[in-house]
Amino acid sequence: MGVPLRKVFALASRDYVHEWQMSVCFVLALAAVLGPMLVLFGLKFGIVGAMIDQLIEDPGNREIRPVSSGRYDRSWLESVRRRPDVSFLVPRTRSIAATIELSSEDSSRHVRVELIPSDQGDPMLSPRGDRPEGVTRIVLSRSAAEKLQVAAGDTLDGSLARQYRGQKERVHLPLTVAAVAPARAFARDGAFVSVNLLEALEDFRDGRAVPRMGWSGDRENSIRTYPSFRLYARSIYDVAALRDAFANLGVDVHTHAAEIELVQRMNRNLTAIYWIIAVIGLFGFSLSLGASLWANVDRKRKELSVLRLVGFRTMDIAWFPMVQALYTAILGWALAVGLYLLVAGVINQMMASQLGQGQQVCQLLPHHYGIALALTCAAAVIAAGLAGLRSAHIEPSASLRDL
Amino acid sequence: MSTNNSSQAHPRGALVYYVRDVVKTRESEGVAFRLKVPSLQIAMGEKIALVGESGCGKSTLLDILAFILKPSSVGAFRFRPERDGDPLDMDAYWKAGRLNQLGDLRKRYLGYVMQTGGLLPYLTVRENMDLCRNVLGLAQDGTIEHLAEQLGIAKHLNKLPEALSTGERQRVAIGRALAHRPSIVIADEPTASLDPYAAQKIMAHFMELVEELNITVILASHAWRHIKELGLRRLHHRTFRSEDRNLTETIVSG
Repeated sequence: MGVPLRKVFALASRDYVHEWQMSVCFVLALAAVLGPMLVLFGLKFGIVGAMIDQLIEDPGNREIRPVSSGRYDRSWLESVRRRPDVSFLVPRTRSIAATIELSSEDSSRHVRVELIPSDQGDPMLSPRGDRPEGVTRIVLSRSAAEKLQVAAGDTLDGSLARQYRGQKERVHLPLTVAAVAPARAFARDGAFVSVNLLEALEDFRDGRAVPRMGWSGDRENSIRTYPSFRLYARSIYDVAALRDAFANLGVDVHTHAAEIELVQRMNRNLTAIYWIIAVIGLFGFSLSLGASLWANVDRKRKELSVLRLVGFRTMDIAWFPMVQALYTAILGWALAVGLYLLVAGVINQMMASQLGQGQQVCQLLPHHYGIALALTCAAAVIAAGLAGLRSAHIEPSASLRDL
Repeated sequence: MSTNNSSQAHPRGALVYYVRDVVKTRESEGVAFRLKVPSLQIAMGEKIALVGESGCGKSTLLDILAFILKPSSVGAFRFRPERDGDPLDMDAYWKAGRLNQLGDLRKRYLGYVMQTGGLLPYLTVRENMDLCRNVLGLAQDGTIEHLAEQLGIAKHLNKLPEALSTGERQRVAIGRALAHRPSIVIADEPTASLDPYAAQKIMAHFMELVEELNITVILASHAWRHIKELGLRRLHHRTFRSEDRNLTETIVSG
């Protein structure tokens, strides 16, 4: 029949409160180690997080472009599109043929726009906006829409010309603005159109007939190949692997893999550095708390002997430094979190002008606080374990007197 | 010698302690001290005094009797806290290292008054006095208040020990040793740090209380004249010093 744990807890707590000056010192010492560590981790997490967010936010970072033009047929492109790490792929027609002259009723200007092949799920277009469809519905870039003074739903006249058998020919086709693309999608004057339309325009320029548009010319092309394609990886983390896969197929591609890898490497390095600092810090705290608790056992030798004398068991006594170390851990953690929130608030305030809405330089997630508490408690328990072992071995007879 | 024989052999009834050929040797820095107890028998309800100058081994004997000091060698060491219970072989407890069981025996049957206070500074007087009752799970039944009244410290019950004088703290210590109605109270010079007048008053209170509660008392004191009025049975002891003064040996029996 040992002493109920509840009573041991109560006594250890009373002791902790009674010696509040000592306890405050322990708590401050812990907060002095843990607070800066939280700020450091918050900064690392916030800065790297913001960089990764920026990378993820801009789908352009997931783009993979062949460096030079090649001859890709539909079946090859289809096999690439089916890869799980590819989220979007459309073939490009020859860029020299991929332009059209647009005019609207509201504007006297004729605007020559570049045509970008697009399709369902184009990552550069707003997911809620309308898609280019068929040979009439197109999505204008912001700058082209401004120059033509049109909005979604307006109609446009598209025209293109060719030299055919020594004659200059011009055709017109009616187009509808399905949507206006976000500004970042394409900076110049351009239009996202279906591959069908692009193929038709290319055929026309090549002097071939396009029966579905009513354009006459030489007979139709039988086997079509494409010089290039628009490809977006599933995520920024798939870019490097895709680049390597293309290299194996003999296709040199241009990617943002280097920038992505830079951020990833920075994240890894900062994390490693952080953990080195954190481990040293926690180890130091553990050691200093352990030393104080150890010395405490000496200081309280007589009191612990009295408890021994009235029948406290070995384990009951060992709980004393344990309970008190846990108090220090929890209070020190709480103080450190308070300090962190204060400092993080100030840092974020200072940086607010340089950041986007909702972005934070110094940031922690709820589970980070939990991990910090768990680690601190573990360090405290280890420190207290040694002291507890020592206090359990107090021989009351030797300690009751002489002190 | 069987247990039965030993208790029957004693004229004063049921024995709480039966000790034979117990030796404790201590050595530090080349100076040795040896306590020998060829024979010691203490009956239930007896009031025993152990008188001698400091360093003669009084505290050593008290600690052995309180199970907080392991004897070096033991002929027999039996403890029978309950009149109707079987005597316990303390030597076996020590040899088996059953320190927690020794702690349980202390908790249940012993009260210990130290030379100075030994109160827990973080507990109030009431909580200090209630400590043993509390760990035994005894209910609040007015015992503490009654004891405090008798010891003249009722008005201090809610103070911390640091607010009390030395004499008042000793009264609290006595109260704590008695509060859980132990079978035995061991007191190691409980009034040595007090002025003679206060010492006398406190000892008188103490004896009154143990008489009232029928508690066995083992009291150590450095001067017989302080306690001869209290009606205690005095244990005999002789102390020898070797010629080079490197060995002190005390022999106690009674």
